[in-house]
Amino acid sequence: MTETRIACPDKLNQDTGRSLLDEVRSGTIAQGGVVVLDLSPTESVDSRGGAWLVEIADYVHSQKSEFRVEGQQGLVAEFIDLIQPGLAERPERAQVKMGFFEGVGDEALGFIGELRQARRLLVEAIYWTLLGPFQGRGFRWANWTDEVYEMGVKAIRITFMMNFLLGLIISMLSAAQIEPFGLGIYVADLLVIAFARELAAVMTAVVVSARTGAAIAAELATMQVQEEIDALRSMGLNVSQFLVAPKILALVVCMPCLTALGMIAGILGGSIWGIFVLDITPDVWFHETLQSAHVKDVVQGLLKAVFFAVTIVLVGCHNGFRVRGGSRGVGLMTTRAVVADIFCIIVIDMIFALVFYYLMPAKL
Amino acid sequence: MTINGNGMTAVNGETLIEVDQLVTHYGEKLVLDDVSLTVRRGEILVILGGSGCGKSTLLKHMIGLLKPTSGSIRYSGVDITAMEEDELSRLQRGMGVAFQSGGLFNSMTVGENVALPLREYGNVDEELIEPIVRLKLSMVGLSAAQHMLPSELSGGMLKRAGLARALALDPPAVFFDEPSAGLDPIMASGLDELILSMRKLLGLTFIIVTHELESIRKVADRAIMLDLGKVVFTGTVAEAEASAVPRVRQFFERRADEFIAQRNV
Repeated sequence: MTETRIACPDKLNQDTGRSLLDEVRSGTIAQGGVVVLDLSPTESVDSRGGAWLVEIADYVHSQKSEFRVEGQQGLVAEFIDLIQPGLAERPERAQVKMGFFEGVGDEALGFIGELRQARRLLVEAIYWTLLGPFQGRGFRWANWTDEVYEMGVKAIRITFMMNFLLGLIISMLSAAQIEPFGLGIYVADLLVIAFARELAAVMTAVVVSARTGAAIAAELATMQVQEEIDALRSMGLNVSQFLVAPKILALVVCMPCLTALGMIAGILGGSIWGIFVLDITPDVWFHETLQSAHVKDVVQGLLKAVFFAVTIVLVGCHNGFRVRGGSRGVGLMTTRAVVADIFCIIVIDMIFALVFYYLMPAKL
Repeated sequence: MTINGNGMTAVNGETLIEVDQLVTHYGEKLVLDDVSLTVRRGEILVILGGSGCGKSTLLKHMIGLLKPTSGSIRYSGVDITAMEEDELSRLQRGMGVAFQSGGLFNSMTVGENVALPLREYGNVDEELIEPIVRLKLSMVGLSAAQHMLPSELSGGMLKRAGLARALALDPPAVFFDEPSAGLDPIMASGLDELILSMRKLLGLTFIIVTHELESIRKVADRAIMLDLGKVVFTGTVAEAEASAVPRVRQFFERRADEFIAQRNV
């Protein structure tokens, strides 16, 4: 075994450390040999000098050789003892390389696991919202009223505003298409049908998922991170009963109300354009509006709202519970919850649209 | 023969930090009342006292996170309470702060956490960053954790990783909030030894906030005791143990008198 001995300078610092590294690099190191740094002349080391020692050890190891320091005395020896782990071989970055099929399988298993979790949450939520309270197992009404205030009452202004503006836009766009044919009055019909069946429910759901869905996910994720969920469990309290059920029931009550408000707001917004720009008298406009309003359309919108409500809460809770890590995880899960919310809303909306298209088509 | 962190020979014993007649309020509530103390270079100063006595508030003032109502805090003669934001942040680079639960950034690995201050303003050779990170981590016994995320570490490891980050820039003064709170005795005493050898080998000054008796006896050169926002004792640990001040006696004898329970609600 060939041994290379290199003497260290009397002061090992940022500059002398660098030249020491250069010296080691320029010398040829035999593979499988030993490089010995002779520290006996060294009287002082600072931490930058120590860092260079780490770098030198690293270089030597990368040349498949052994690294040793010798001759250190006094404080230098104590310093070397302190940094000894850094002079050993570099820790390997734990990297799991997966093949293609392994990767696909991993994804699939992860997805199945997630579906299982989601199913459990759904079952528990249904039990604690619909059955539990009637079997005398309790429901947290005080918490429910808080949630209704937070999710519903506080969302009134923004829901009204968004739907109002959307109504105005829809009215503006469609009037441009049918006005030339002298059919401007039918914008009123279009508004009613669009808002009753579709737009109010979807628009409101988007607003609510951004407000409430994100809040639920962030709240539960933070609770998970700070061990509050574990605390609940350890007290023998059911998490679904305690956290999920009040939220579901609160939003199931709030969403149809907000959606109804959204319908009114949207139609009002559209009317502004009809009355002030298309110059249709309010009498005629509102007569036409009422003529085209059908209970079945309104019911369809409200029914959808209920499904959206359940989805928003469950998706929020599901993602909140799945959080890993700390603050970063909370952010990731909140984002995921809102994206999933909006995706689910659109999918549910499409299913409803298909079903009602065949069951009861919209007619002017 | 000297070895120290910033490559300069430190003159031990000179005054590094001087807190003078510090008064501070949270809203209406008086939190620190006329607190004065000095920190000498190269010493380990322990700030002690019961929960809620203002220890952590004092620490936050000393590192410039909070502004006092009145009084001054001078670093080598320069008052930080009157400093502009820019000037203060330049001075703060010379302080290492290890927080109670680490204060590590969750989105980065432990190694990246330690590298952050070096990258931001260390004026460090890019090539030297990685070895410095490994050096600091091996000093605190965490060289295996370099590529782990903070969420994968235990409480004691988080504290040590926080210390490694605080040491990254070789600051002359290191503030440590509750180093041994919540650690098992082995880990706590290991951390105490680490503090002692850092001081010895790197010439660091430590300002430690704690209420762990064992740890105080082991590491402290001097102790300052706060009670209800006032300094009730300054001196060496031996003097503290022999002190006639009732609160200090009570603290070192671990007696729970009735009036504590009533005051600390």
